[in-house]
Amino acid sequence: MAKELVEGQPLNSPEENNIGDIMVVGGGISGIQASLDLATAGFKVYLVEKSPTIGGHMAQLDKTFPTNDCSMCIESPKFVECSRHPNIEILTYTEVDKVEGEAGDFRVTLTRKPRYIDEDKCTGCTTCVEYCPVKYPDKFNQDISNNKATHIYFAQAIPLVTYIDPETCLYLQDEKCQICVGVCKNKAIDLHQKPEKVEIEVGAIILSPGYEAFDPKLREEYGYGKFENVVTSLDYERLLCATGPYEGEILRASDGKHPHNIAWIQCVGSRQVIPGGNSYCSAVCCTYTQKQVILTKDHDADARCTIFHNDIRSFGKDFERFYQRTENLPGVRFIRSYVSVGKEIPESKNVTIKYSTPDEGVKEEEFDMVVLSVGLNPPAGYEELAKKFGIELEPHGFCQTNETNPMKTSRPGIFISGAFGGPIDIPESVVTASGAGSQCGELLGYRRGKLSRERVYPPERDVSGEEPRVGVFVCHCGANIGRVVDVPSTVEYAMTLPNVVHAQEDLFSCSTDAAQQIVDAINEKGLNRVVVAACTPRTHEPLFRDTLREAGINQYYFDMANIREHDSWVHSKEKEEATQKAKDLIRMSVARASLLEPLQEFDLPVDKRALAVGGGVAGMTAALSIANQGHEVHLVEKDTDLGGTARQLHYTLEGLDVQAYLRDLIRQVYQHPLVHVYTGATITEATGYVGNFTTKVESEGRVREIKHGAAVIAIGADVYQPTEYLYGEDKRVMTHLELEEKITQRDESVTGAQSLVMIQCVGCRNEDRNYCSRICCQESIKNALKLKELNPEMDIYILFRDIRTYGFNEDYYREAANKEVKFIRYTPEDKPQVEAVKEGDKEILRVTVTDPILGKKIALDADALALAAAVVPSAGSQEIARLFKVTLSPDGFLQEAHVKLRPVDFAAEGVYLCGIAHYPKLMSETISQAYGAAGRALTLLANDTVTASGSICVVDEGKCISCGACISACAYGAIEFKETKQGKKASVIPVLCKGDGLCNSKCPTGAISLKHYTDEELLSQIDAAAPAPVEVQKEKAGVAG
Amino acid sequence: METVAPFKEAIDAIKEAGGEAYKLCYQCGLCDTVCPWNRVRNFSMRNIVRQAAFGLPEIEGEDIWRCTTCGSCPQRCPRGVGTIDVSLSFRRIASEAGISPASIHSVSASLAAEGNPLREERAKRADWAEGLSVKPFTEGMEILYFPGCYLCYDSRLKKVAAATASILNRAGVDFGILGAKENCCGESIRKAGDEELFKRLARENIKTFIDNGVKKILVSSPHCYHTFKNEYTEFRANFEVVHISQYLFELINEGRLKLTEEYGKKVTYHDPCYLGRHNGIYDQPREVLKKVPGLELVEMADSRQDSLCCGGGGGRIWMDTPKGERFSDIRLGQAMDVGAEVLVTSCPYCITNFEDSRVTLEDSEAIEIKDITEIVQEAIGEEKKPDKDGQ
Repeated sequence: MAKELVEGQPLNSPEENNIGDIMVVGGGISGIQASLDLATAGFKVYLVEKSPTIGGHMAQLDKTFPTNDCSMCIESPKFVECSRHPNIEILTYTEVDKVEGEAGDFRVTLTRKPRYIDEDKCTGCTTCVEYCPVKYPDKFNQDISNNKATHIYFAQAIPLVTYIDPETCLYLQDEKCQICVGVCKNKAIDLHQKPEKVEIEVGAIILSPGYEAFDPKLREEYGYGKFENVVTSLDYERLLCATGPYEGEILRASDGKHPHNIAWIQCVGSRQVIPGGNSYCSAVCCTYTQKQVILTKDHDADARCTIFHNDIRSFGKDFERFYQRTENLPGVRFIRSYVSVGKEIPESKNVTIKYSTPDEGVKEEEFDMVVLSVGLNPPAGYEELAKKFGIELEPHGFCQTNETNPMKTSRPGIFISGAFGGPIDIPESVVTASGAGSQCGELLGYRRGKLSRERVYPPERDVSGEEPRVGVFVCHCGANIGRVVDVPSTVEYAMTLPNVVHAQEDLFSCSTDAAQQIVDAINEKGLNRVVVAACTPRTHEPLFRDTLREAGINQYYFDMANIREHDSWVHSKEKEEATQKAKDLIRMSVARASLLEPLQEFDLPVDKRALAVGGGVAGMTAALSIANQGHEVHLVEKDTDLGGTARQLHYTLEGLDVQAYLRDLIRQVYQHPLVHVYTGATITEATGYVGNFTTKVESEGRVREIKHGAAVIAIGADVYQPTEYLYGEDKRVMTHLELEEKITQRDESVTGAQSLVMIQCVGCRNEDRNYCSRICCQESIKNALKLKELNPEMDIYILFRDIRTYGFNEDYYREAANKEVKFIRYTPEDKPQVEAVKEGDKEILRVTVTDPILGKKIALDADALALAAAVVPSAGSQEIARLFKVTLSPDGFLQEAHVKLRPVDFAAEGVYLCGIAHYPKLMSETISQAYGAAGRALTLLANDTVTASGSICVVDEGKCISCGACISACAYGAIEFKETKQGKKASVIPVLCKGDGLCNSKCPTGAISLKHYTDEELLSQIDAAAPAPVEVQKEKAGVAG
Repeated sequence: METVAPFKEAIDAIKEAGGEAYKLCYQCGLCDTVCPWNRVRNFSMRNIVRQAAFGLPEIEGEDIWRCTTCGSCPQRCPRGVGTIDVSLSFRRIASEAGISPASIHSVSASLAAEGNPLREERAKRADWAEGLSVKPFTEGMEILYFPGCYLCYDSRLKKVAAATASILNRAGVDFGILGAKENCCGESIRKAGDEELFKRLARENIKTFIDNGVKKILVSSPHCYHTFKNEYTEFRANFEVVHISQYLFELINEGRLKLTEEYGKKVTYHDPCYLGRHNGIYDQPREVLKKVPGLELVEMADSRQDSLCCGGGGGRIWMDTPKGERFSDIRLGQAMDVGAEVLVTSCPYCITNFEDSRVTLEDSEAIEIKDITEIVQEAIGEEKKPDKDGQ
């Protein structure tokens, strides 16, 4: 069925066409990801958000851990992608009233709240905002600063349209004023707008309403709202942010001064059973606090930061290093003690905190500012939400899901993603979004493509005959650049450069109105080259290139000068020099831009089959989800049986019968007509490129050549074999997995033990493996609870460094304590000692550990000792990485394209990852990630073609001397010899070339060149960097001396 | 460093003595930060709970007798650990082993012999009421007034009993007392670890109340209130209990009591631990004070749920606390910091401790210590006697 072609932006009004495939409720990062995946996979998506713009809480963050990327920079390109995507209709300021129907056939009634602005007419010019006389606390800035009654929620809002607050607007309250109506040039203000009811039919719904931060006013003792200098972490995030209430200056509410001595209180509202508190752990606070400390030290190198905690939960990928990085900063203290807020000092308004020490009593210290690391609550109105959608909630108020499918709700056809399933971070929200999308795809496969539309750009203007006409757009980036670089003077300077016919400044070049201005300038001034001086191309280059296409210009006529990461952010204290550098960088970009050539991207066909490497729970789940969407999947497993690590698991904390689940999963795999299983298999060769891979698999004596468009790598992981604590020497010492096996076999040496000890963190969180294995605290507590069930009298001791029972697992920690499992903390400097001693005729296994509270060594006589051994990368990971040309992380696990926003993609296109091969995780998290990988694979496989970059290498055969240096240098095998009349010449295979240019540096004759980065272009940039030599006059020589 | 092994028998004994609460502790240290002891010296409740976990209670030390059972730590403990119960279990074990402070020994003896901790004669329990129009309790009366041992015998607190009686009479309440038939309520000796003695005192009281047809009991001490309401129920006794501060609130609202005379002083109210934190009564005493004409009520630091213990609970009213370690000294300072002329409260232990602190002040007239009834008594003024014409 031919896709409907739409020019430019898609139509906005749903009244014309109220039928869609999926409705995504909640426009935070999770909802946005789900929408993009599904839309790219051929479905029509309605994205509904109750705020005036999409973005959610992530839009309020300054930077995101553990990479410390600017949050808005990595999120806002996705806003624009959503708004430009022909298959997504965004309905903001809209709420759901009613949901009727069933899976495949839902009817959702929405109320579009009145903005009092006509979205189609508003251009986001903000004139009404300037003239509005009324102010009220700005929710986006956590009520710390004020904004006008009419304003745009934040600068990068999509849609970029104002809204009027009915409680504050003078007209809507008292029928006065109406100044805005008068000043609006487009007559876009309609103060008589009424709520509008809309009914939309969809086949499936994804709920991603996110979370609500815990309100510390519920517990008076925190002093929030009472002491001015006590703030929440979300308040602090806005203070840190350059778009915040004080433009990135961290200031105290009491006197507007910078604080130099700041305290963070952890677990505010979390891990508590007192009234108002939540018993679970909010999972993200330890790491976001470390991020805030690092950023604070960036703002003020002399700041003293103290973090008060009771366990540091750095369980995620790269979190442990992030923790150490924070700890190693000068002036940073981690103090293990929950605290009580003391008093406010009347003159300074400083706040005191009382904390306890094991041996020096209680200390009271004064701080300039106290940050409450608040936890995550279920989203506002969660009970009503559950009723409207007819889904069940779990006891804490989050959505009730299934351990074997964390995106499935109790109502078929309604899925969830993101923090509504439980407190978790951004990568997990993105994974579950892709996973929910995949399940919608399974449900609605029959409808795929029927409602989707394709984007059509205006025809490309041929400017090759024209003189270069460069337009320069210099971005303030809020205060990020504008505070350091004198932007107006760089704009003035830009106009003096050769070929520049237009130069302007923008507050945020990435916002939709700025993008529109670029299009307008290109059309009105006949620009044929564009230079944007702003942030790093890594964030917004695709956005700007797309903007050029919208204006009918080849997208490769674009260059970006990085005057933020390369200038204002690193020279923030040298404003004059920074401004000069910005001018230099712009001059260099203009020089290059003038020489840029148009390049064509090309479409490659996509083979609709997939390859899944690894037949564990991850590989099988991904394979089934892809197969359920109509694609053939080849599942390759190196063992003789499917199942992977799950074969060694028998029960989970939630009581799942793992073996029964596994049997059922394997049965589904074998019975699925589209899944082909190869066990006892080895991969001998892997070639090709996205959409067109060829992989050779040897299995059962035969070699098969499999052609596929996408690959999912799910090769699992191994367990560290300990060498410490008498493992291997004493048969009473085992790993946690071995313990689980013995418990399941009801091995008397374990189930009949009088005393059993577990030691955590064996083989990791050390120099050899500087990461946390994430699952072991859960595994040990799970085994302890099981043992207590079988033998309540058994003494069980768990020796830990931090108990990392994040999320709802905290409840199991409490349950274990309540069942008399004893937890003793040890430090890496004072590890437990294990020795086999003989007392009389008894052979005793004695574990001695120092208890930090009693200040004494405790000697435990154990009948069995279980070591929580580290999870280590699979032995086959190096080989798989080499074969598929994907990267491994420093710890040897699979390295994803971006830790936050691309957690299941590899940087190499067409290859995806999931499971513990990515990083240790619980089985339920593996299942989420496997669905996620499937969802992402479908965004490729559902389409007939995939587009490859135009910036590739090309060989000038006249100069080629056939030395082959380029062929050896290329890591992608993209160059080969081809026969010509002049003999063998190097030739580039365009679809394999990644455009890294390494071959260019090896070629002795300069025969091979990289399009878009030719020597001429780069040399012109370098020449422009160094100003022309100046002639020194003779008289001046004497003065210079 | 000393090496020890967990002592299972001791752990069992601790659990039997009611100290099972140690299980949930995750050693966060929050208890220590709110404990009033840490304002005057180092004391760690966390350490005591940890001792319980390994069955290594230091019952021969001083620390297990420090806890005043003020309730600050269990109120804030994120894990909901009943810390007081742990400390109490150690005291029970110690008591059974014959280990307890000398002052507690002699109090136990007095309670056992005379039914009060002050070594006074049982027969004189009702002497405070002489000449005050106070009747013996009979079945059918509105309420039993149970003054408690301190109000019956202590010279300072007898004034409070007298004020109370006068207020009740003015309000026309039909009340009576049981005098020598009563025992000490037993709350504090229980917290000091003598469980057997508590049970005996309680059972005798319950029998007395039942035999005399008691239904509703008015108490002056929050400790009596707490044990009658929350602990006597362990014996299946179910009397209606009301504290004088609540009763005053009711009487005023019902119009039975009219406050007409000016009391033009700046007053601050101290929440007794057993009225406030343990039983949630914060507002009624304040509402009563607000009804007093001319009275200016100010709040000091650490009020309501954060109220600073006077140091009298848990049996410590009978133990000696050296100067420099007295919480009540700090409390007077806090009252004077907000400019209060009068520190008012509604508990005999608090008044005892505050008066002790007051006399040791440089200027012992700098602040007055009053019971709420003493202020209300001044506010209701003299009874207006009808003149010869019956006007």
